[in-house]
Amino acid sequence: MPVYVDNNKCDGCKASKNPPCVRLCPGDLLYKDFTTNKAVLRDKAECWDCYACVKPCPQDALEIKLSYQIGFFSASLRPEILSDEKIGWSAVDTKGKVERFEIITKYIPVPVDEPESEEFVDSGATI
Amino acid sequence: MHQISEEYLDTDVLIIGGGTAGCLAAVEIREKSPKTEVLIIDKGHIDRSGCLAGGMNAINAYLNRNETPDTFTRFVRADNMGLVREDLVKTQAELFEYCVKKVESWGLPIKKGEDGKYLPRGRWNIQINGESIKPIIASAARRAGAKVLNWVCATNFILDEDRVCGAFAFSIRQNTFYVIRAKAVIIATGGAAGLYRPNNPHDAQHKTWYSPFNNGAGYAMGIRAGAEMTSYEMRYIALRTKDVIAPTGTIALGVNAPYVNGRGEPFMEIRWKEYGGDRAATPIRAYAPILEIKEGRGPVYLDTRHLDREGVRKLKEAFLDMYPGQVLYWIANELDPGEHPVEVQLTEPYIVGGHCQSGYWVDIDRQTTLSGLYAAGDVAGGAPYKFISGCWAEGVIAGRAALKSIREEKSFGQGKVESKTEFDRVYSPLFRYDPRQMYLVPPYDFETRIQKILEEYAGGASTFFEMNEERLVVARKHLSLLPGQYSYLCAKDLHELMLCQEVINRVDVARVLVEHLIFRKETRWPGYQTRLDYPARDDENWLKFVNSTYDAVSDKITLLTRPYEQILDGDRYHG
Repeated sequence: MPVYVDNNKCDGCKASKNPPCVRLCPGDLLYKDFTTNKAVLRDKAECWDCYACVKPCPQDALEIKLSYQIGFFSASLRPEILSDEKIGWSAVDTKGKVERFEIITKYIPVPVDEPESEEFVDSGATI
Repeated sequence: MHQISEEYLDTDVLIIGGGTAGCLAAVEIREKSPKTEVLIIDKGHIDRSGCLAGGMNAINAYLNRNETPDTFTRFVRADNMGLVREDLVKTQAELFEYCVKKVESWGLPIKKGEDGKYLPRGRWNIQINGESIKPIIASAARRAGAKVLNWVCATNFILDEDRVCGAFAFSIRQNTFYVIRAKAVIIATGGAAGLYRPNNPHDAQHKTWYSPFNNGAGYAMGIRAGAEMTSYEMRYIALRTKDVIAPTGTIALGVNAPYVNGRGEPFMEIRWKEYGGDRAATPIRAYAPILEIKEGRGPVYLDTRHLDREGVRKLKEAFLDMYPGQVLYWIANELDPGEHPVEVQLTEPYIVGGHCQSGYWVDIDRQTTLSGLYAAGDVAGGAPYKFISGCWAEGVIAGRAALKSIREEKSFGQGKVESKTEFDRVYSPLFRYDPRQMYLVPPYDFETRIQKILEEYAGGASTFFEMNEERLVVARKHLSLLPGQYSYLCAKDLHELMLCQEVINRVDVARVLVEHLIFRKETRWPGYQTRLDYPARDDENWLKFVNSTYDAVSDKITLLTRPYEQILDGDRYHG
């Protein structure tokens, strides 16, 4: 049930070295290709379909699709962060019928770039 | 050639795994003792790592009105066929209120009824809008002043005799190997998925219920360090929705859907009435559908056809907060829960201490049998039915105990294992990688090998999760050869290097699992642990815990039993 990167929309978060999707995938499955400036999924088979990468994408360039063995085309389900307190979902079934949802949440905005993590002091100890 | 640098870090408390339990442990320590340094390491980014990445729509262990830690413990005892660590279950229940109130104060939206009380969903459950539950608790850990190292994967404990005094770890984003010393360590890495053949093949193999990234790292580190483990034989085989493997509590409890078989019969009420029917103990609610399918009465459904349009919409909203793929599945297969009952199936077996009770053998402070090491959440054994709030509670308990211990023990232990040995062990698949070399095994192939062995010989889905000793012995034999193959494992980058560590972890967990399955000569938990050669429950001989320790020098797993202690009176099989 992999996530797909829409290369027409993905801009690699421009100069970002570590875009939100690359940071937030719990399985370390997305990386940024600096030659093409696009996010790339390492392996379709490893995706868990958790939407952690989809929700914060500033370009709305990521979409979860069911593996074809599990679901037919061309149903789609896309989230949209409406505010810090509301998430929207658009569901389109195989016949093109649209259903929209708005659900309460407590969304913590995800910056395109995260400040470098604080410096850790090497203790110099040898073990 | 890779140039790997080594970094040496010191901290008061090291928390391995920044998930449900780890974040709450970090906050508890920092609030009680702002001077205590806490370092969380996580192989992901703690904002969306682990089981809660997609969100959660309910807290499933909570004391609703008129319930007490005692009534909860009695219920959990019956739900787990009369055998749990009652001391652990009760102490986690005592902290549900504290933890839920705390996380609500951080911003988690909890639904409330007209009376202002939390909105129940079943006896022990309350409804939440938890799409962002993970970033909420991760932010709290950071605000509390815990230091966080994301994308750092722990590999082994640093040991001084049987004292844990830190951990080795490596970064999956840069060429850095970490040697981290700590006065106390809390292990909170979750359970293990990916041991058995997954429910869906090919590009849907990670369409699992349990996080496929939870590979049993904490179990394996404990096994290799000689920690005593308990109850691995109580595998968790979950009843989940067909194909997308989404949780069914949202349907069964959320909209009171009864179980029906292919003939439309309410089989739980017909055949399992004396066990509680639709509210029978969790293993029975896994076993009964297995039998329906095996005996020719499948498919099995949760019947949602009583729902009106608004009811269907609310059900979809509940899944969007936790498991959006379920909604996508319905619209991609022309299924409407108001018109079609929701088909369910059983999952690949997982090893988890939060639904079942496999994990570290701990005392009431969640201290493991290794001094300096505490376990919390899915990695800790003996206390099933934890779910999220129980993992929070164990994080709090372990955090408090770790803090107390470092007030008494102010020094760092002296690790005996040389970092060079561990460095070589960890990085060898990367250094070995050579695309021209034919005799190398990528981690994916290795994982498939483990899954094939367990699936076919240790009670996989294709054999209705049933097993007998002779087949288990074959699993033991095949698994015993795998460590000899580590020298062929290869990794083309740091991501694959992480996967290599994960398959090694899975081998260690699988070997212990099979020994536990062989050892318990009864069927305690039908469905989870169906022994064809010992089909009955045997309280006379087996009302006790099966535990094990591993000795790395002799490569020997030793099995032992620990007595069950009944703390609360009453019928152990009815809660």
